[in-house]
Parts: sequence; C-alpha cells; structure tokens
Amino acid sequence: MSKRFLAILLSLVMLFSLVSVAGGEASSDPTNIYGGLAPLDDAGDPITFTIFVRDPGTEPAADNPVLKKIAELTGVTIKFEFLVGDLDTRLGVMMAGEEYPDAVFAGDASMRLIDAGAFIPLEDEIPKYQNLNAMYGGCIDSLKAEDGHAYELEMYSVFRGNTVVDQSPIFECGLGFYIQKAVLEDAGYVIPRTLDEYFDIIEAYLAKYPEIDGVKTSGFEILCDGWRNWALLNPAQNLMGDANDGAMFVDYQTYEPAFYQDTETAYNLYKKLNEEFRKGVISAETLTMSYDQYISKLTTGAVLGFYDQGWNFGSAVDLLKADGKFNRTFVSVPITNPGVRDGYIEGKNPDGALPTGLNGIGITTKCKNPERLLKFYDWLLQRDVQDYILWGVEGEDWVKTESGSKAFTDARRALWRDSARRRDETGYTVWNYSPAWQGLYKSDGAPVRNDDSAGEYLASQSEYDQSFLKGYGIEYPAEMHSEPIVRPDYFPVWAMSLEDGSPAAVANAKITDVTTKYDSRLVLAEDDAAFDKIWEEFLTEFHAINLDALKDEVTRQIALKMGF
Amino acid sequence: MRKASLAKRINKSRSLYVMILPCMIFTFIFSYYPLTGWIMAFENFKPAKGYWGSKFVGLDQFRFLFDDFEFWRAFRNTVAMSLLNLVFGFLFAIVFALLLNEIRHTGFKRITQTVSYLPHFLSWVIVCALVQSMLASDGIVNNVIRALGITDKPILFLGEPGYFWWVVVFANVWKEMGWNSIIYIAAISGIDPALYEAAELDGAGRFRRMWHVTLPGIRSTIVVLLIMNLGSILNAGFEVQYLLGSNGLLVDVSQTIDIFVLKYGMSIGNYSLATAAGMFKTVISVTLVFGANAIANRFGETSLM
Repeated sequence: MSKRFLAILLSLVMLFSLVSVAGGEASSDPTNIYGGLAPLDDAGDPITFTIFVRDPGTEPAADNPVLKKIAELTGVTIKFEFLVGDLDTRLGVMMAGEEYPDAVFAGDASMRLIDAGAFIPLEDEIPKYQNLNAMYGGCIDSLKAEDGHAYELEMYSVFRGNTVVDQSPIFECGLGFYIQKAVLEDAGYVIPRTLDEYFDIIEAYLAKYPEIDGVKTSGFEILCDGWRNWALLNPAQNLMGDANDGAMFVDYQTYEPAFYQDTETAYNLYKKLNEEFRKGVISAETLTMSYDQYISKLTTGAVLGFYDQGWNFGSAVDLLKADGKFNRTFVSVPITNPGVRDGYIEGKNPDGALPTGLNGIGITTKCKNPERLLKFYDWLLQRDVQDYILWGVEGEDWVKTESGSKAFTDARRALWRDSARRRDETGYTVWNYSPAWQGLYKSDGAPVRNDDSAGEYLASQSEYDQSFLKGYGIEYPAEMHSEPIVRPDYFPVWAMSLEDGSPAAVANAKITDVTTKYDSRLVLAEDDAAFDKIWEEFLTEFHAINLDALKDEVTRQIALKMGF
Repeated sequence: MRKASLAKRINKSRSLYVMILPCMIFTFIFSYYPLTGWIMAFENFKPAKGYWGSKFVGLDQFRFLFDDFEFWRAFRNTVAMSLLNLVFGFLFAIVFALLLNEIRHTGFKRITQTVSYLPHFLSWVIVCALVQSMLASDGIVNNVIRALGITDKPILFLGEPGYFWWVVVFANVWKEMGWNSIIYIAAISGIDPALYEAAELDGAGRFRRMWHVTLPGIRSTIVVLLIMNLGSILNAGFEVQYLLGSNGLLVDVSQTIDIFVLKYGMSIGNYSLATAAGMFKTVISVTLVFGANAIANRFGETSLM
C-alpha cells in the first residue's frame, strides 16, 4: 500500500517539476537546437554509457531526480567509473587488455591513451553537431594531437573562437602572500605592497595579540611537504612581477625564459624570511610540517600570514567559516619588489583560451555508439539544459539580482555547498564530466555557473566580508591587486610536458631537489655569515645542474606555442 | 651410467616431482619470467615502443647512476639506516622475547604480546603521522623534556639531520618489535624443559639460564634470520624516509635508493633507470646473502643453503 502511495506521490512531484520547468523559461537561445528541455527522437531507446574518470569519487544516487529526467528526455544514462587506487596503474591495465569503457576523462594522462590508439578521431565529427561546433569549431587546430587528429572534447575553459560565451570577471586572486583579514582591519585597511610592509603589520599584530582564542599566534607559515613545495620555492618569481609560471621566469618582451632561483630577488627574499625566523615570527617547525598539520594550524585562526595557492587551503577556510570566524580568513595581497607592478592574477584572455588537447573526454574505440554520445553532449550544451542543471528553477532555486545577475536562494546555496547533496540531488556530476559552457552568455551577459556570477559572489559573502570590502572601498578582493595581465599563449611553464627521462626532465627534478634543500637551510640560518655561506654553497650546486637542458626545452616550447 | 641412475631416481620419487611441479611453474612465471624485463636497464625504454623497439644504450643508465653524487649519498643513507634497523631490530626483538619468556603469569604474557605486535598492522602513513605529532614542538616528547627541565627551547627533532636516522630506528622498533619477536618466542617454546631443570639443579639463576640455555637454543633461528635479513639490506624502507624526511633540511640524510629511483626513475618516466637501480640492488643483495651463508657455514652454524 505505502509503496503505491509513494509511487503516486513521486510521479506527481515529477509531473509538477516538468510543468514548472516547461512553463518557467521559454528562452529562445540559439543553442536550444533540440527545443531546450524537450525529448530527443530516440529517447525511447535507452542506452547506458560508462565513463572512466581520473578522480576518486562517488556515483550519484540512483534516484537522482535531475539525472532521471535527463535519462527520460534523451534515453541516455551515464554510469561513472571513478578512480580507485593509482591512475597510471589503472590506465596501464586498461591499455594492456584494450578494455576501454565508452569514454575516458584522464586529464594529462590522456597522452598515454592517445599514444596507445584508444580514442577515435573527432575532427570530422564535431562540425556535424551544432553546439559542439559552436564550442570547439574556432580552435579545432589546437585540439589536435601531433598526428593531426583531435581526440578530446576538452573541458573547463572558455575556448577561443566559441560563439556562445565570454570570460567571466575574476573575483579573487588565487595565489600569493595571504594575510589574515583581522590583521589588515587592525592596521586600518592598508594594502601592503612589499615584503617589508607585509611583515611590519604582521609583527605589529603579533606583538599586540600573542594569543588568539587561546592559541599561540603564529606570524608566518611556510609549507614545504613533498610536492606541495611552492611556498618555499616560488615566491621570487612573483616578487619579480610574474604569476605562477613554474621553474622559470619569462620576460614578456623577449619571451626569453630565465631562472629566478639564483637572483638577487631570491637572495633578498630568503634573507628577509631568515630575519623573520630569527625574530621569532617564523618558527623552524613550519618547514617540517606535514600538509595535515598545516591545515589544522590554519584552522585555529591563529596564523597571520603565509604564501600559498587558494585551492590548497580551501578546506581550512571552510572550517573557519563554519565556525563563524570570518575575520580569521585570509586574503591575498600584491607583494612585489619595490616599484614592480604585481602580476599575481592570471588575466583571462578576452578572446578565450586555447585548448591543450588533453584535458577532456575522449571517446574510445570500444564505444558502443559514438553518434549517440556526441548527440547527448550536444543536447546537454543547450542553454536551457545547462541552466536547469546549474541553477534549477527561477524563484525556487535562484533569483535575479538588482544588477541583472543571478544568485542562489539560501536553500539552494546550502544544497550546492553540501557536496553529497549536490551529487545526489542535482545533475552536477554529469555536468562536471561532460563538455560544458562556463563564463557569461554572449546573448545577454547572464552567468553560466554560480562561480561566474557576480550576483552570487556578493550574495554569498558574510556580513564581515562585506564590511571588510567596504573598508577598502572595493567590490571584490581581486581589486586589491593591479588589473590582471592576460598571459601569452605559452603560459605557464609548469604545464609544459617534458619528454620522459630527457635531460630537461632530469634537470627539472634536480632543480626542485637542490632548491628545496638549500632554501629551507637559508630560512633557518643562524646568522648573516652562515646565511651567506649557505647561499654560496647553493650557487655552486645549483649551477652544477644541467640548467641549459631545461632552458633550451622551455625556449623551444615557448616558440612552438607562440608561433615564432 | 649416471644419467640412467638419475632417471631411475626421478622415477622412484616421481610423485614428489609431480607435486613440486606446480610450484616450480609458479616460481618460473612470477619470479623468473619477469626478469626478462631487465633488458630495459640497457635500453632507453619507452612504453609505447616496447622491449624490441626501444633504443639500446648499453651501460648508459648505470653510468648515470654511478656518476651521480646524490646516488652515492642515497646508497650511504640506505646502508646506514638498514644496518641500524637490523642491529636494533634484532636486539630489541630478542631481548623482548627473552623477557616475555620469563613472565610466569600467562594472561599478562598473552596481553603484552598481543599489544606489542598490534602496531605491526598499522600502515606507515598512520605511524608516521603519530611520530610526527609526538615529535612536534608542542608534542609529547618535547613537553616531557621541557617539564623535566632538560631544555627550555623545544627540540626540532624532524629538522635536525643528526637525529633523523635514530627517529627512523625508533619508529621501526616501535612498530615491528612485537611482531619480530613472535618467531623467537616460538623457537624458545621448542627448547627442551629438561635443559632448564638441569641448569637449575646446577645452581643457575634466571640470567644464567637465559644466557646458557635460552640463547643457545635459539641461536640457529637468529643466524637464519640474520642471513635472510642481510639480503634486504638495500631495502631500508621507503615510507618512513619519504613521509618524515622529505623536507629540505633532512633530504641529505633521508634520501634512500628507493626514493632516488622514485624521483629520477618513475616520476619522470625513466623506467630504464629504475630497472638499472633495481638490478644493482639485487646483485648486491644476492652477494650479501651468499657471503653471510658461507661465513655461517665456516663457523659450523646452521646455514640456509
């Protein structure tokens, strides 16, 4: 009895949601080539595609209402095989037996699958599908691998030459010298611009508040744990005005790469850090900390400053926010050498980005029906479908803001922030692992995702954050930095793939080794004499590396990408 | 003549041969057949090209290894930490087994033994996290030292190269002592009780009995284990050094051959170098095992072969 009642209730709910969606928006966007949220002709013929994803994860619940509806309209169900264990091993097994799922998203590791001939070429297929062509048509040559075929439906970018979306604005700077908001508030909303100014206000606050919430205040942290070594190795390039380029600094006038590790800037940086260590602002322990220790330390709210990349400490910030300690969260400030223009923010190219040809979905030779999968992706790229998945129903899940942007309702924001509910109650997983738009729609400037929406960014700020930004008279934290510089097409050096086992790859590994070793010793040097002695040793060992091997390879790749 | 007798002998015990055949096939497939992959060490191996398509480079990979100062430093660290682990691992396990053997209360004995080998089942990731928080500047070790007034400034255990090998030894002993002692306890229980009685009648006290009865009773076990462990002297472990010692302050004393291979072999896709280093390790290990075995033979001890 109760089962039948449930079934009736469920179908009523579904009927209602169908009606409300159909009645809510009848946009005439040109991407709606299949009539928006309307059924496809072959919707009656169900088909399931299995897609391997390079990330660990969990499949959405079987009763996910959005995915059910998508399956109903298209006949397509996507089954995800998430990574368990080691990616290279999993791909190796796949390639050895040629046992491919229908499609694979392997990120950079796709190179191996392409070499193994696992994917079908797509350059002749893409033009047959209107929305896929709108996305990739303008940059299809960049999508091609060295053998002249395009194998990937690349994701997560606004592509050059696409006819549907523009870049969205940048709200926050994603890396740099972070400082606790309370410190800036205490200092009277100044923007520190040099290392001296930065450490001056940290020292002042440290002297004033030796303890925060019962925890001993820590002035500055440097995380250097395994591959998370950028806080120790990278800042010199930023002080010279670059963003995060990698192991080399590139002059945008001549496009000549150079090493920054042995420059005067690097010397002064480590000298300053060493000074702060000897003053007790930096503790020696910071260099032996594990990532977990670092995150739990940030979570106490007693850390005043550190250098990092935003995504690396997001979990600590989430916890601080959950505790209501908004004044203990952090903001990146534009620290450079005196007089140098800061370049921390990677500007988005208004023409769109070029694809890498790797970071996307590849359809394998074992795919049971590539035409239907491509058509499914084409259907997903309709604006009505994207809006339905990402925003939900107007009035219920989101509202138009005064400035004409979009913002979630509180309930929807709570749902979206809860990753388990987002997975089980919205179509996010399918959206996230399919070709998708991002940015702002050209036709009316509306944001594609919540992350693209100025309205949502402002609406999601706490009261403290709003008053903090008001203190500076700015709308977004990114405005504390200079206007973003659009990076040349080669950018960045760190993403260049070096041939396996080549001298350049060896040099690159050695540079990391030698700099990690000596930079930590420099920070902890006992006195000036010891510091200079370590610096001399460092120079000797650094120049013993085959630096030219890496420099020549980077120069070659820059020339290739820039079309010299 | 001889051949015939061999055939005859095989024929005589053919059921035994039939029984051992699956094991031999198994060993061949999983232990000997993979050795063909050693050919990679003499090539510039690229997975896409396979064994036969990759370029043959002779001894270049070995030259790269042996020319690199870092490799020899890694070699030194590996041998040093292995020896320390071997000595202290043996010492603690044997002493622990001897002491445990002297406990009369069975319940207490069992509980102690169980508790002592539990850490063996923890993964190194967990053990290293424990060690790390114990040795932190506000960790238990520093707190105790400070409370005792030995020093007022916290000691940076994981930032001081001089301490690192001992930290590794401590972690190893803590994790493996109980487990390693099991085999000695088993060997001790095989000693004839009459020997103890005789010693007691002769007026031997507890320590005398330990020294003259228990230890000689497990001597052959100790020697066999020593020979087997010598074979893995170039495996100083990988996890502890990687998890605790990868920071820049310690890298000079913590990098083992395995970590070197991971960095310059696997991570940058140079499988040939990794294979060459693996071959190098195997050759040394086999030499050490046969050497130790020969020495044990000469001194009239039970040996492996």
